[in-house]
Amino acid sequence: MNGRLLRVAIVDDEPLARLAVRTRLACRPGFEVVAEYADGDSAALGLAALRPDLVFVDVQMPGRSGLAALAALPRAIRPMAILLTAYEGFALQAFELAAIDYLLKPIDDERLDEALERARRAFPYSSSASGGAAPAQWARTFSVRVGARTVLVEAAEVEHIEADGDYATLHAGGKTYLVRERLHALALRLDPRQFQRVHRSSIVRLDMVAELRALTNRDAVLRLRDGTLLRASRTYMPALAEALERRAHFPLPTPSVSKVA
Amino acid sequence: MREATPPLIPVLVALPVIACMAILGLPAIGHGHALAFRTLFIVACVAWIVPLALLQRALWRRDVKWLPTALALLAASYAMSVLNNLLGQRLAIELGLVKGYRLDELTMGLDGCWLALIMFCAVHAGAVYYLGLQRAQLRLAQALAAARDAELRALRLQVNPHFLFNTLNAVSALVAAGANRDANRMIGRVADFLRATLAHDGRHEHALAEELALTEAYLDIEKVRLGARLQLSMKAGPDLLDAAVPYLMLQPLVENAIRHGIAPLAAPGRLDILVGSEGGRLLVDVRNDGQPDAARDGTAGAGIGLANVAERLRRLYGADQQLDAGWREGRFAVRIALPLRALAQPAANDVDVAA
Repeated sequence: MNGRLLRVAIVDDEPLARLAVRTRLACRPGFEVVAEYADGDSAALGLAALRPDLVFVDVQMPGRSGLAALAALPRAIRPMAILLTAYEGFALQAFELAAIDYLLKPIDDERLDEALERARRAFPYSSSASGGAAPAQWARTFSVRVGARTVLVEAAEVEHIEADGDYATLHAGGKTYLVRERLHALALRLDPRQFQRVHRSSIVRLDMVAELRALTNRDAVLRLRDGTLLRASRTYMPALAEALERRAHFPLPTPSVSKVA
Repeated sequence: MREATPPLIPVLVALPVIACMAILGLPAIGHGHALAFRTLFIVACVAWIVPLALLQRALWRRDVKWLPTALALLAASYAMSVLNNLLGQRLAIELGLVKGYRLDELTMGLDGCWLALIMFCAVHAGAVYYLGLQRAQLRLAQALAAARDAELRALRLQVNPHFLFNTLNAVSALVAAGANRDANRMIGRVADFLRATLAHDGRHEHALAEELALTEAYLDIEKVRLGARLQLSMKAGPDLLDAAVPYLMLQPLVENAIRHGIAPLAAPGRLDILVGSEGGRLLVDVRNDGQPDAARDGTAGAGIGLANVAERLRRLYGADQQLDAGWREGRFAVRIALPLRALAQPAANDVDVAA
């Protein structure tokens, strides 16, 4: 799968919170927990000595915070960081520290998968799933089982896709089709010029978006051209805004096959 | 106990009284000494107004009844007028018009000063009374608003605990059954929903977009429980996302729809939320599949949630709202009609992306 395991450290004052990260990492391949720290001081010393690749840091800790410990490390040996927080509003600090992601407690498995995926892609020694290596050709059709038949659904006709546990539901022309694939995996196979992930549980075809209304918590509600309402979470808002902007300036003539060099 | 009135009131009241005296004194101009007498009386009256106003306020502060107050003020102003006459005689002596004081004439021709001072007291009393009445009305209105606010808050609070304990129960069931992944998922969704409700600033209304997002956060929890058995659609007409709706109006309805409608069904059930508008009314429809004869009788079986929402709508909009619920074509349907108005948004950052 990749070159070597990512060495991970966990900084959190609560033992159960560390357990939550450790057990989740244990059932995902490619990660090895090398150290755990319960306070900022021991973290600062330990991280400098062990030099892990990735560190999970709780942002609210008594005494010296995990963030301070991280900021104290010289930039050259500072590990990739995923921040953990029970409250929102730490995103700004996260970006200042160039953290690759921040997760809200309790940890959501899908969001953790995404954060780990980012870490893998940002990891210089990983051979697979590196940032630019997109599939040579984006998915054009989906084969869906409808009873005993297999139906082919054109990707271009799909209006939006909803996560349904370990499956996904395609919405196309007023019909729904269940695909045996997780939304997270589907998102990687869709042409980013036509489709955009907008929420943990949904992907939308960009030309379907008719209204976008920002919410006070920085999420948004999208209204599609057929009246369907979808939530867009703030994690995906910058990407969505950029994609819509791109579309406004360089509209694709027809949503068809497109190759990426 | 009367509340303090601003000291500006007697000043404002004194102005027209003085003006009246000045105007009445105009014919005296050019009649030699008459002008001097008039000027003396006006100045004296202005001087008397100060202790008179203080006396009046002191009587109010002590909550003296109106009759003793009136008598005391009449007596005080009478004494002041008599002293004015005394000053007038003094002036006449100075000017050489008369030889000495004539005490028998002291009580004659008091109308000029006494009437002016009585007028001042009357207008002062009237102004203060009016002001007090206005304040009392304002306080009453505020008290009523606070009471309404508290009642609405109490109604709203009924929503959350009910839902919370049901969800905790579901999480506990998932843990007991060893469905760790689902238990985790549900805990995550509950956290999302709690974050969304805790972020609320306490207003009774918010934008439809916020309400729908909150409802979806709640439905995410139910989706974990029901999986494919819950089929959901949520649609809205154009330009309605800013419309003002009561906070947490949909959640109890949706909870009912699932608990009493879809959850007892063996087959997958649909839940549709449709928002539209018609002639200045916002129309919200919540429809769900269900078994009309299940457990309770159809119309009244929707539990406390529906009654709670109806009560909140009534308190927020009075007669200007409607809530109809019942079985229609084999589905349970709730329709709410509200006055359609956009929520006042201090920092609207809407982006219109319709190309």
